[in-house]
Amino acid sequence: MIVVFNENATPVQIQKVTEKLLDKGFDLHRSTGTSQVVFGVVGDTLAVDTRDFEVLEGVHEVIRISEPYKLASRSFKKEDTIVKVGKATFGGKKVGMIAGPCSIESRDQIKKIAKMIKKTGTKVLRGGAYKPRTSPYAFQGMGEEGLKYLREAGDMNDMAVVSEVMDRMDIIPALKYVDMIQVGARNMQNFALLKELGKINIPILLKRGMSATLQELLMAAEYIMAGGNHQIILCERGIRTFENYTRNTLDISAVPVLQKLTHLPVITDPSHGVGIRDKVAPMARASIAAGADGLILEVHYDPEKAFSDGAQTLYVNQYEQLVKELKIIASAVNRTL
Amino acid sequence: MSKKKIETIRKKIDKLDHQLLYLLNQRAEQVIELGMIKHKLDLKVFDPKRERDIFVRMTEKNPGPLHVDAIVRIFERIIDESRRLERIEAYEKDE
Repeated sequence: MIVVFNENATPVQIQKVTEKLLDKGFDLHRSTGTSQVVFGVVGDTLAVDTRDFEVLEGVHEVIRISEPYKLASRSFKKEDTIVKVGKATFGGKKVGMIAGPCSIESRDQIKKIAKMIKKTGTKVLRGGAYKPRTSPYAFQGMGEEGLKYLREAGDMNDMAVVSEVMDRMDIIPALKYVDMIQVGARNMQNFALLKELGKINIPILLKRGMSATLQELLMAAEYIMAGGNHQIILCERGIRTFENYTRNTLDISAVPVLQKLTHLPVITDPSHGVGIRDKVAPMARASIAAGADGLILEVHYDPEKAFSDGAQTLYVNQYEQLVKELKIIASAVNRTL
Repeated sequence: MSKKKIETIRKKIDKLDHQLLYLLNQRAEQVIELGMIKHKLDLKVFDPKRERDIFVRMTEKNPGPLHVDAIVRIFERIIDESRRLERIEAYEKDE
């Protein structure tokens, strides 16, 4: 951390800042320039709120040089983290695929979709049981009953399963059924939930909040990691921008940026990212070309009749075609699928 | 010829560096001892008046060619490191 003083900072003001920094256990490297004094602050500044120093008299600016997250950062761990979910891996050479309906609607529906998706080689099945809907009158999901059907469908087709949990009370029941827990965009900064997920030992699929910066996403991952759970897959799922032709703007640049900042695998969710079926496949292709470690996609045999998000859900045959295309793109960027 | 001259000067610098190294460590030994006493008397490591006195005395007595600003910057570094040494050797080892 660097503290830059005002040009007219008085010795007394500088002394007060010095005392505060030393009291907090930091070492200083002072440098008195011709017009300004600069302090290099040495020590663990992770817990420091830079504003505490910025408000002190005589201080012009406080600049962080290390990231506010540690466990999630690439400087803490150089090599890529590979997260295993059943037989799928995320973060290695192989691109991981997750597909399934937005919501689990019935035992038959999830079984039928699982069987169809399995043929494409996809090893992780998704399905929502607790649905965070914008309207309280919209379908809210089947709850634990839905998770039971998801597990059955996964087991019958030798697939791992992932589902979203919205409330920390639902974590323990969900552990009976799922191989990975998803934290939805709306819960990315539900710190009470994140803390609880740090205590369990199955992978977490952490989605970026729709207005969250990448640093905020990484701080959310840090919350889970600080609790001891380091198996996290980060997911870009579209952010709010001024453009309203698409439901969200899928920030594909998040993929290479995150991969530089963190060792955790990064996937995208083109279904929520654009929200319109015919735009999903192009964004999925672009994500793999950009180096994403995987994809999560909404697929249904009859999207028109889906209980939720039908407009952004791919038909099974569209998904099959997309997987074929993705294999070619993956090999072009030295990956396999 | 000039190559030989460079070598001669560098040798002189090396010799002076060794003297500096010896003097800095001698100073550090005194700093540790002072730190222990300050700790026993429950005095703070940071003593701004004493630091200012050092800067004033060193700039006043500076024969050059180093500029007084440079003298301050160099002594800032020496004092910063001394303070760190006091903290680690006298205060933290005791805890």
